[in-house]
This record gives sequence, structure tokens and C-alpha cells, in this order.
Amino acid sequence: MIVCVAVVGHQNNPLYLESFTGGDDALKLHHIVHCSLDVIDERVNNPKRSASTLNETFLGLLYPTENYKVYGYLTNTKVKLIMVTTDLDVKDADVRSFFRKFHAAYVDAVSNPFHVPGKKITSNSFSERVGTIVKSFGHSMSL
Amino acid sequence: MDPIRTYLGRLLLEEITPVVMVITTPLAEEACQKNGFSFVDMLLPFSLFPRIDVPVRTASDQPYRLQMFKLRLFHASNIRKQNYEAAEEHLKRVISDLNEKNPPDLLSEPPQLDTALTKSESDLCPGWIKTFNKELIRTVSFSEHESFDHPVACILVASSKDEEPINKFTDLFNMDQTPPLLNEGVMDPKMLKHYVLLHDNQDGSTENAASIFAEMRGTFGQYDCKMLCINSLREGDENNNEVMWLPYRNYGILDHGKTCCLNTDDLNQIREFMQDLTCNHIIPYMEQKIRILNQQVSTTRKGFRNQIKNLWWRKGKDDMPEAPDGPMYTFSSVESQIRLLGDYAFMLRDYELALSNYRLLSTDYKLDKAWKRYAGVQEMCALSYFMLDQSRKEAEYCMENAFATYLKVGSLAQRNATRCGLWWAEMLKARGQYKEASSVYTRVSNEEPTLHAAIMLEQASCCYLLSRPPMLRKYGFHLILAGNRYYMSDQKQHAIRAYRNALFVYRDNSWSYINDHVHFNIGRWYGSLGSLDVAIKHVLEILACGHQSQPTQNLFLNEFFHFVQSAGKRFDVHKLRLPTINMSSFKVIHEDHRTYASAADFDMQESVWRDLEEEMTPTASAPRANWLDTHPKSSLKTYDHCVCVAGEVVRVEIELKNPLQIPIPISGISLMCELSGNSDASTLDNGAASFAVDESTGHTESPVNRLMDGDDSSFNLSKHDLVLGGGETKRVKLKVTPKVEGILKIVGVRWTLSESVVGYRYFEVNTKKKTKAKKGARISSGKNLTLIVIKGISKLEGRIDGLPAKAFMGDLQLLNLKLRNTSESAVKNIKMKINHPRYLIPGNSRETDLSIPQCLGEKNAHEEERYNLTDNKDTYKNLLFSFSESNVVQGGETFSWPIWFHCGTPGKVSLLISIYYEMENSTSGMTYRTLRMHHILEVLPSLDASFVISPCPSKLKEYLVRMDIVNRASSESFSLHQLSCVGDKWAISTLPSCTDITSVQTVLAGQALSCFFKIQDLNGVTEGECTGHRSNMLMGTEGSREQLFDISKSPLIDFHYQERHHQDKLAKVSESLLDFILISKAIGSNFESEAGSSHQLLSHHMCHCSVTRKSLISWRMSVPYTIYHDFSSSICEVELHVDVLNCSPNQVNVQVSTFDYTPDTTENPSSDWSGASSLSTKQSGWSDISLENDIRVMSSPKKVQKYHKSTSESAPPFVWCGSSAIQLSLEPACAARVPLKVCVFAPGTYNLSNYELRWKDVEGLSGSSAGQGHPFYLTVLEGPHGKVTPV
Amino acid sequence: MGREVAESCIDGVIIEMVSAYSTRFYSSKPDVAARRIEAIGYQVGHQLSERYTMERPRFADHLEAIKFICKDFWTEVFKKQIDNLKTNHRGTFVLQDNHFRWLTRISLDPAVVANTEAASEGESGADSGAQMTSMLLYFPCGIIRGALTNLGIPCAVSADMSNLPACKFPCDTRQLVVLVF
Repeated sequence: MIVCVAVVGHQNNPLYLESFTGGDDALKLHHIVHCSLDVIDERVNNPKRSASTLNETFLGLLYPTENYKVYGYLTNTKVKLIMVTTDLDVKDADVRSFFRKFHAAYVDAVSNPFHVPGKKITSNSFSERVGTIVKSFGHSMSL
Repeated sequence: MDPIRTYLGRLLLEEITPVVMVITTPLAEEACQKNGFSFVDMLLPFSLFPRIDVPVRTASDQPYRLQMFKLRLFHASNIRKQNYEAAEEHLKRVISDLNEKNPPDLLSEPPQLDTALTKSESDLCPGWIKTFNKELIRTVSFSEHESFDHPVACILVASSKDEEPINKFTDLFNMDQTPPLLNEGVMDPKMLKHYVLLHDNQDGSTENAASIFAEMRGTFGQYDCKMLCINSLREGDENNNEVMWLPYRNYGILDHGKTCCLNTDDLNQIREFMQDLTCNHIIPYMEQKIRILNQQVSTTRKGFRNQIKNLWWRKGKDDMPEAPDGPMYTFSSVESQIRLLGDYAFMLRDYELALSNYRLLSTDYKLDKAWKRYAGVQEMCALSYFMLDQSRKEAEYCMENAFATYLKVGSLAQRNATRCGLWWAEMLKARGQYKEASSVYTRVSNEEPTLHAAIMLEQASCCYLLSRPPMLRKYGFHLILAGNRYYMSDQKQHAIRAYRNALFVYRDNSWSYINDHVHFNIGRWYGSLGSLDVAIKHVLEILACGHQSQPTQNLFLNEFFHFVQSAGKRFDVHKLRLPTINMSSFKVIHEDHRTYASAADFDMQESVWRDLEEEMTPTASAPRANWLDTHPKSSLKTYDHCVCVAGEVVRVEIELKNPLQIPIPISGISLMCELSGNSDASTLDNGAASFAVDESTGHTESPVNRLMDGDDSSFNLSKHDLVLGGGETKRVKLKVTPKVEGILKIVGVRWTLSESVVGYRYFEVNTKKKTKAKKGARISSGKNLTLIVIKGISKLEGRIDGLPAKAFMGDLQLLNLKLRNTSESAVKNIKMKINHPRYLIPGNSRETDLSIPQCLGEKNAHEEERYNLTDNKDTYKNLLFSFSESNVVQGGETFSWPIWFHCGTPGKVSLLISIYYEMENSTSGMTYRTLRMHHILEVLPSLDASFVISPCPSKLKEYLVRMDIVNRASSESFSLHQLSCVGDKWAISTLPSCTDITSVQTVLAGQALSCFFKIQDLNGVTEGECTGHRSNMLMGTEGSREQLFDISKSPLIDFHYQERHHQDKLAKVSESLLDFILISKAIGSNFESEAGSSHQLLSHHMCHCSVTRKSLISWRMSVPYTIYHDFSSSICEVELHVDVLNCSPNQVNVQVSTFDYTPDTTENPSSDWSGASSLSTKQSGWSDISLENDIRVMSSPKKVQKYHKSTSESAPPFVWCGSSAIQLSLEPACAARVPLKVCVFAPGTYNLSNYELRWKDVEGLSGSSAGQGHPFYLTVLEGPHGKVTPV
Repeated sequence: MGREVAESCIDGVIIEMVSAYSTRFYSSKPDVAARRIEAIGYQVGHQLSERYTMERPRFADHLEAIKFICKDFWTEVFKKQIDNLKTNHRGTFVLQDNHFRWLTRISLDPAVVANTEAASEGESGADSGAQMTSMLLYFPCGIIRGALTNLGIPCAVSADMSNLPACKFPCDTRQLVVLVF
């Protein structure tokens, strides 16, 4: 299942971070997300990979921690979407589709005229929508 | 770079070196112990040779030279594998005394980003970590699977005091104090032996020893024997001890100051001995051994045939059972031989040879599934690759392989895995692949117990920082992990150190969650270490954590308070985050010449007051200038600084917000002020500057104290206590009262958070204001922090007693304005200005004692007080009321003045009253002051009366009035008391028919009623007639003789004029007839609390009521109704006349025309003069007559009355005689009488309706009586002659 | 997702907004009005770029981003592409739209033109018209700037309407790039 999703602004400031584990491991998740930023920077900055994957928004598996897998997604506007999951075998397609939905949700959230760019996303509808997306992700995995 | 230069290179050169086993007799040890160290220790300093230049030849006779060499000396008892627990103990001890040696500095500032990036590795991760690594590696030495720890040589030591030392030597080696590995047959017992005879010079001369030595040489051979003489230091020559012990000191031995009996000769002897041992014995021995082994190996294994054989042979060995760590190999086995060869080669730096052998061996071990050995060999491969500095990929692959394999082997080889990992990481670091190194460290940390893991993680974090580009976040994360581990294995200092180093990663950007955690833990640990100040400093950072959950906030707060209490002393915290102060809401309220009745009045805009006080104050344009110029010390500088008066309160309003969800008690909120005695303008600025300065210097000495000391003498401050609920925001009004004149600086605000912590904050607006003041002081008037305190002067405090917040429309009350002079000097020349004279009118002094409603009665009407209404009208626009010169309010006394209060239209209205007064004796510059009172009044709707006036059909001067009253009050009911029409030109009376309006004297809430009256115009009515007519009408019950109120005297009339003036604006009809005043009483009120007595009076003023008419003019035909006439004598002529009244505001031309036939309605209502001419064509001789008639009418109406008989064929029973058309023009509001005459030929009743009026006013507005005039019937009877009876 | 609005409504809204800002709110100080309008455009562009760059690979360099603005972004907003893109290779790009939609319906007030011609001093009339049009152009400038900034290209965008309804938008990323580095 997905334990955490996060949106990080282009100045690496957290815009939204939601953990879906009941427990209070928020701190750890914060750390994981925070560290994954390093990996994203690294991925983006040194283009050792081929040009095709270089500019793709989906960054794939950022790094596996002992019991998590961290996936990343970098939009054109340098906004990072990060997903932390405990599933060991994740199908790439699933993650991609998840990020696509997540990105759509994010775009709608920031298109809200009352949202201040660069500030935390505090819209309930956004969080609800993300919640449903996350659930659906888990569901599709179980199928 | 050259691998030798790298850290790993040096490490290998020191760690993988030949081991020399030392076996001593007890006596020999004893001799050494005199100096406080063992024999090994004695040799130790001389076992490292920085530059011995030894020529060596490789197996293939390649000559090369060894520069730096090292021997590892171990006592035989130490040559054994440590078991795990012992190793752990050892390492713990190492860490602890490393800490004692150099404790981490925790009091310096935590590093910043830029500094951390510039640091090199050495100062990034502390040096003791390297030593720890070495120790960690050493714990796995003497393992059976690798042979570079196997002793190359053995030194047997016997003392010269031993009896028959020769035997000693032999059984020394055979005794069981030889290491177990040797006995197990892992090590090769055939090693180079060296025999040392130790002679203690203090035990007498060396003869005996020499003899023994000779004997030894005999038995063991020339070269392998050596005699050492020690402790040859005599008493007396305590010469350069320190210099001699230097080497020992460097090795950390000999820390306890024991008497040391070695002298220079001894040391030199030892040095030579070691040198000789190394160069002439060990190295050649190894060299030779390498040759031999190489021979064997190449014969057995090199070459294609051997390979095949070997393979096949191993295959055959496959069926043998698998030992846990592979099959057992004795030293004699080929594998051990090869391994030994490799290790020797490695130790002699012949890495190619070593590598080839290792690789050869690795395949064998692999086939044998001897995994541990395999791993060891792989490890060595990697190292040799590294030292050869070739094919990095291979090296890493081998390392990886070794590491993985060690892990696979499991707990037995776990520490080996660690060592391998360390070497691996070092290798990567040496090649600048820091990121990979850090990941290796992380992997190692997973295998190690907490404390070691912490150290590994810290190294990993260093690597992340050193990697290019630096991966700061990972650095931080791993430091946090390390710190956490440190904390778990209670190494608090290290935990703090790690966290502190991580701080800067999270500081800048808004990862507050982590930041809070870090700060909090640092604080907690500092607290547990006892350095509370730092702890508090750190916890302070996170106090305002609104984003955290409530329990977390609780935790933080409690921890904080716990620290503060345990710290005991009072803390003054600059910019304490709790509560947060909203500086934008900051406001300074001070009173210069403008004083305010209450603080709320300050909110009114200055401009409003200015307009109000315009003609009252001497110079409204720049009111401060006039007295500031008279001020002795005033300069232009001080002009835009505000002024306050000594002894008067200066208020400061700020907004405090509690960011947390838990309530916080705040006590003793007060200002911090400075009152400097001299009122020189120049000090203002540098004063402000000085504050700016010591803000920057961070307030070494608590400003709170500094600013408190003055307060008892020069000013006193107010203190507030309050509790801010979760997320609550409160406004506090702080007061400072300067006592002496000077310059008052409001520096900041100070508060105490739950009795434990004093927070203070400076007002930065001070500096902002300086810039603002350029543009104009207006903007920053509310934020002025520097006030000139001038000498105390008299001040009036004012209030209006019983001014209600809510009142009904039309409410009329007599209020009391109370002015109290708080000072001792008198004030004079008081003037008052009211912005809404419609609501408030000052009465006159007599009325103070009066009481409503008696004072309004007619009885005590002071005739002389009656205002001259006409000239009041204009002055009432904006009432400036100046009290009589006589009243001077002495100091301390109260002056009261009556004020009439009357409510106008419903709605909210803000009443502004400004009272101007001058100082009796103005010692200070201020000559006058103004007292400003602001009151917001809500007027509730009450009775709403409207009038419809229609002319009375019967009489011209009388009108019927319908008064519609609606009670719009919510629940109040009123009783009508009196209806009056203003002025004495009108009389009001009830209709004779319905005198019973008394039945409807009270109007309940929401009720509507209408009642009818008759009003009569008293114009031109002689006094005789108008007696009995009254302009007031009592509407109460007939029985109750309530008194009438005299509306023609103050204040009713004044208010009436205000109302009238006000209603002028909305009066639509230009022609206004009269004004009504309806006086009613509130009964059954539920507003008694607000509105005072239940018998309160309401006066409603309905102005500009006008008569509603259909036409411009009204007329009536007045004749006797019945006439007796003697027709026998003559025909009857009846005189009658039409009264025409012009009701339009402008002149009207009227034409009265009579005709003797009943006109048909079709052509009649042609209402213009052309129509009249058309009509004249029908009637013979109309037009020509009309003209001259016209003139006649204008000239003299008398002549109209000539009469001639009409000759008309269609003969009605009567005929009009006289002029058939009369035209006249009427001035506005004046009447005329048009005489007519009619001839009747026979008795009967006649309808005299066939006359017509047409009129036209100058504005072309015209009309005509609809066809005929009002029908009028005349009855003529046969009767006595000439007897006319008027009715 | 494909919610659409009648173009006339958009035109109406924009014209109303411009007139409201330039004549009602800040009639006295046109520069403030311009800044406000530009700011609105900035936010719009910021959010639109966020939306229109979904499902696209990231841009390798500035030129790609600018091309995106010219092609896809412009098509999304104006149903047509930028007609001409020029650049001096030192950070200045000129986007030219030969038939800028929001200006097609703009025409100078004939009355103004007439009486100004009658009064034989054509400047004021032309000025007022030009000023009005330029006010209208602050909005698209803001949009472009917002979009580019959000794509990581801080720039300054101006508008050149020398010959209507063609319109040029010079985007200067240079000095800001200098600032960035």
C-alpha cells in the first residue's frame, strides 16, 4: 500500500505531505521524502541516462529504503510529486497512472484562484481526491 | 593518485605487516616491569621504521627497495582470536577513553551551510572515528582464514637470572603459552626464531650474562641470539629523561610517571636490535620463504596441466561433507601455502605476485565452498588491485563479492564483513566516489550494534556532504539517524553533536516538522546533560509550533517549562515566539492638545474632528504649530514628533495571538519605556539609533532590568494579565504615564509567559517611521514611538450623563454634560461644537435643575428666553455654542450643563462633540485643548405620522386633516399626547362630528391608526374670531387634564427648526403649508433600562405638510338659499358671488363665464383660450366684450355690476345678467370675490350650475371646472315684497 | 475535463476587467492599473502552464519551453499558434502573432477618431485608443510571463502593437538569467 504521498515545490519546500499509515511515523516519512529530493536533484542534474528517459516527468524508483520504495515524478514546473509505498513488486504502469492522476489533482488544486503559488496546499477537496487515488492504487494492485 | 599516499594505503602499510610473536620468561617480564611496561611495550616504539632502505627481490628476481616498514609485536598470549564479547568490551572502552581524551565541543555555535561545505573530510568527521575504525579492524585479527596475522618470527626472551636459560628457551616455545592457532596447526610452527637474553644491569655485572650468552650462541647459532642490557640507569644522572621517553609517550605507553631505569644506551641498543632483526632476519626470511612457496605453487599449480588436475581433483572432493566454514585447511595444505605466499608477497609489497596467488586461490575456495576463506581472499584481491591502482571495477567487484560472502557466512564472519566494508569505503573515498562509500557505510551500519552503527552512519553522512554535488539532505538524514543511535547507546554528547551538525540542513526551508524534532531533541539532551541555557535556547526555537498536533505542542511546552523551572533563574528572551505579536496592529494613543473622552474616540478620523473644530480652534490648519513655536526648545525636528503631557496616560494597543491550540497564561504585559530628562530634539534620533545598536548586539545585559529601574521615578507603567486560549487573538491596551517632562521613548513590550519566562520585544516601527516621516507625519501618526513630554497642564474630562445607546425616534430628553477639571489650574472660555445639532442642543443654565416634562409646560415658559427663530435658522447648521465667559472651571471641580437630546430619523448616528477650552495660565506652550467626545447612537423607529390635508368643501379657510400614525416600534407602545401645528397662523381642532379620537390615544406596537382633524387658517381672521382656536390640541382623554407643552419655546422649537432644516432637503412639494409636531409618550416600554423613565416624551416633527388638491384654485358660490319675492311687482333679481381662492404658488388668470343654456359636454372641456374663442363664436358678442371686460376687471371690479337683460331665445327659467364672462388674475394665496346676478321670473328651485371657471397660471398649467361649477340650488318663493332672508 | 467558454465571453470579461482597472479603480495612476492587470495575467499564465504541461516530457532547455508556449500553449489559449518566433541568441525571444485574437475586435472609437481628425490633432485620439489597447495587452503579457516563469524561465515580457491586429511580444530572459547565475 501507499504509505505517503507528497508534493514538493520548486524550492524544495513541502507543499503537501500526507501519510496513510495510521501510526505516527510522520517524522520518518518526512525524512524519507526530504532525502528523496537529493536523489531527484541528482537524477535531473547529471544526465548519465539516455535522452529519452532524461526528460520524462516520471522518474521511476528513486531509492529503496529498508522497507519502503520511493517513487518520484517531476513536473515541467519543477514541482516534485513523491510517493512512498511498501509494496515490493510494483508495476511501473500502475505507478505511472497513479502519478498521472495525482498530477491532475495537483493541477486542479493550484488552479484554484485562492491558492497562493508556493504556499502549502490546504484544500480539503484536494486531500480527499488524493485519498481516493491512493485507495484506488492499492485496489488496482490487489486485483 | 599514488595509492600509498592515500589513507587506505597508509592504513594497509601499517596494519598488514609481519607479526612477531614474543614469548618471555616471568623474570624477564619482571625486569621490564620495573619501568612499568612489558617487554613488548619496550620494543614497540622501535618497531616502526619510517625509512629503512632494504633491497628486496621479487620472486622473479626483480629488485626493489622497501622504504617504510613496520613490525607488529604481540605477546604470545595475545595472539588469539578475541571472542565477540571481549571485542565489544574492548571497543566500548576505546570509545569511552577516546571521549575522555577529546570530548566533543558542544558549546560552540552549530555549523552553517557555507562553512560545512568548505570543510575537508578530516574536520568533518572527528579524528577519533579513524582510531575507532582501526580498533574495530584489529578485533578480527588472528583469524584462521587469513595468514597475514600469523607470526613470521618469534622472539624468545629469557632473563639472565633464569637458571639454565638454555632449557628455558627450548621449553618456552613448547610450553602451552603458545597461541592456540599454532597448536591447532593453523599456523606454521616452523617460524623464524630469535633468542634474546635480557640482562638487568641493576642485578649486578654482566659477566654471568655474557657467559650465558656465549652458551646460547653455541646452542642456537651465531646470529639468532641477542643480548639486551636494560635498566642500566644509575642513580645520580637523571639526565634528559623527557627526550628519551618521547617515543614511548607517542605510543601512549608510560603515562603513569614510574621511575624509568633505561638510559640512552639501552634505547639505542634496543633500536639497533630491532633494526637488525628486521633487516637481517625477518625481511630476508620472508623473501626467501616467498621464493620457496612460489616454487612449490608454480610446480603444483601453475601451468595448464596442473589447472586441469587441480580442477578434477577438487571435483572429486565435492562429496565430502560441508563444514560450516568450509573444509579445514592445515598450514601444510596447498591452499594455506598459497595464501601464505600471497600474504607475504602483500606484506613485502609485491602486489602482482600477491594478486596472482589470491586469484588462483579464490577459485579453489569457491569450488570448495569455503566461503569465509573465499571472502578473505577476495578482500585481499581487492586490496592488491587497489595498491596496484589498476582496474577499479575489478577491485570494487571483489570487495562487493567479499562483503556479500562474509554476510552470507553469517555471524561468524560478521565483523570481517565490517572490516571489509570499512576498507571498501576507504577505497571508494580514496577514489573520490563518496556517494558509493556512504552507501557502503550504511550497509555496514545495518550489520553492526547500535553504537558502531551510529559511528558508521556518521561517516556515511560525511561522505554525503563530501560528494559532489553535496547531498545535503541525505547528510542531514544520516546524521539524524546516527544521533538517534548514539542516543540509544547513551552517548548523549555525540548524539547532540550529530544533531547540531544536521541543523543547518533543515533550518532554511520549511521542513518545520523535522526541524522541530531536531531542535526539541537537542534541547532535551542538553537538558539532561545539565546545560540548561542551551537547552532552553533550542526549545525556544520550536515554541510557536502551530502546525504540530496538540499533544506535541503540550510536550514541547511542558519540556520548556520544566527546563526553565529547573534552571531556576529568570530568563529574558528577546523576541519570544509565544505569543506572537501582530505589529501591524500596533498603535500609540496619546493626547496632546487633543484629548479624548474615551480611548474609543481615538478611532475617529482626525479629519472629521478637524472639520468639526474648524472655526473653534485658533488655527485649524496646523494646530500644533501655534504653541510649538512658543515652546522654548522646539525646533523643526520636533515638529513631527508627537507630544504628550506629563501626568497623562499614553496608551499603546497591540494584538497578541496564541499560535498554539493550548491556552497560555501571560502575565505582567507592560511597556518598556525610557524617559530621558532633556527634551532636546537631537537626542531623539541617536536615542533610536542606540536601540537599533543594542538590538543588533543581542542585549548582553538584560534590557528589561535596564528599562525597569527608571519606572518608579519618571513614569509608571500598567501591567496586564490575561490567558490566551488556543488560537486566540486579543488586543491589549498598555499604558505608560510619564511624570516629568522630557522625551519619552516607547521601546518595546515585555511579558511573562506563565510566570516563568520573560519575553520582550522591541518595536521596530520606530526606524520605519523615520523614513515615513519624510513623506508626511500623517501616515505614521498612529505609530509614533518618541513623544515629547511637556509640563502637566489642566485637562477636562467630560461625559454626558444618561446619553442612551438606543433611543426611539423622536425621543426627547434633558441630559447633563459634565465637565471635570482633573488638574488644579483652571480652564476658561469653553466652547462646544456638535456635529448633529439635530440630536443635541445645549440648553441654558436655568434648565439644569428642571425636569422633563414639567419644564416644557406652558406655565413656566420664560418668555424672554424665546429664541428669535428666523435668525436661528442659519446658525443651526453646525452649532457652535460658546458658554458664557463667566464660567471658569476651577481645578478639580466639576462643571455641568444641560443638553437637550432629541432623536431624528431611525438608524445609527455617530454624535461628535468637541469641547474647546483655554488654559487660565498657560505656562507650557499649550494654550488651549479640545476635548473630543464620540457617541454612537442607535435610533429605533417609533411612531411614524403622515398627514393628508384636503380642503374643506364647505369653507375656504378650513382644511380637513387626516393623520395616519403607524407604530413601527418592535414592542413599544405609545400614547399620543398632543398635536400642535407650528406657528400661530393655524388653529387645530377636532371635527365636531368625531370628538372621540380620545378612544385611540395609545398606539400599540405595529398598530396603525388614522384620525381626522380640522385646521383653520387664521390669516386675516381678527383676534376676536381666533380666540378659542388653539394651535395645540390635547389628544389625551377629556377627563385627564394633562398639561399642554409649549412647542414655541426651547428646546422643542429649536429641534423643530433642525428637523425643518433637515426635512427641507427631502421636501418635494415646493408649496408647504404648515408643520405639525406630534408629542407622544412611551408607555409599557421594554426599553426602560435604556431609555429612562417610562413617561418619556417623544416629539415627532412633520414639516412641510401641504394641502393635496385636485386643482390650482378653489371657489365657492355664496348666495342666499331661499328668497321670498313678490313676482307680482317685478322679476326677481338675486345677487350672488363666487369666491375664488388661488392655491397655487404663482399667479393665476381666472375666467368666470356664465351661459344660459346647459352646455353639452362634448365641446366643453376645451381647456385653453382658443377653445374659449371657439365657444365665443357660438355666443353672439362674446369676444369683443370680453376684452373690454377684461380691462374693466383689471381697472375696477365695481363697474362690472352693470346689468342688462339678456335676450336669448332658449329661455331657461332664469337668466344670468351682468357680464357673462369675467376675467381676473389672482396673486398666489389670495382670494377674490366675483359678483354675479341672476334674474328669476317665477318662483321655483333653480339649478345654477351653468357657469364655468377656467384658469391658467403663468407656467401654462391650466384647467377648467368640469363642465359646470359646483351645482348650486336657488329657491325662490312667492312672498312679501323685498323680503330677503339669508340663510 | 474539456470545459470551454465562449470566446466572446472571454473577450467581454477581459475588456471589462481592463476597463474596470484602468478607468474605475486606478483611473488616476495607469501604471498601477497596468501592474495589477499584468499580475492577474501572471497568475493565469502560471496556472495554465501548470495545466498544459501535464503529460509532457520536461523541457531540456529554454528554447523548448518557448516553443511550447508558441505552439501548444498558444493553441490552447488562442486556438492558433504563434506565427513567428525570433530570437537573438542572447536570451531575447520575440513572439509574433499576426492576428492576435484579443485585438481583432478592438477598434478605435470612431467618434474619438472623428472629432480628433476634425480638431486636426490626431495624437490624443490615437493616444487614447493606443493606450486602451496597450492596457488590453498587459494581460497577455502577464500570461506569457507567468507561464515562462513557472517553467523556470524568469523573464520580462513587453508588447509591441505597432501594426494591429498583429502583435509582438518580446520576452527578455537575459538580465534575469544573469541575475539567476
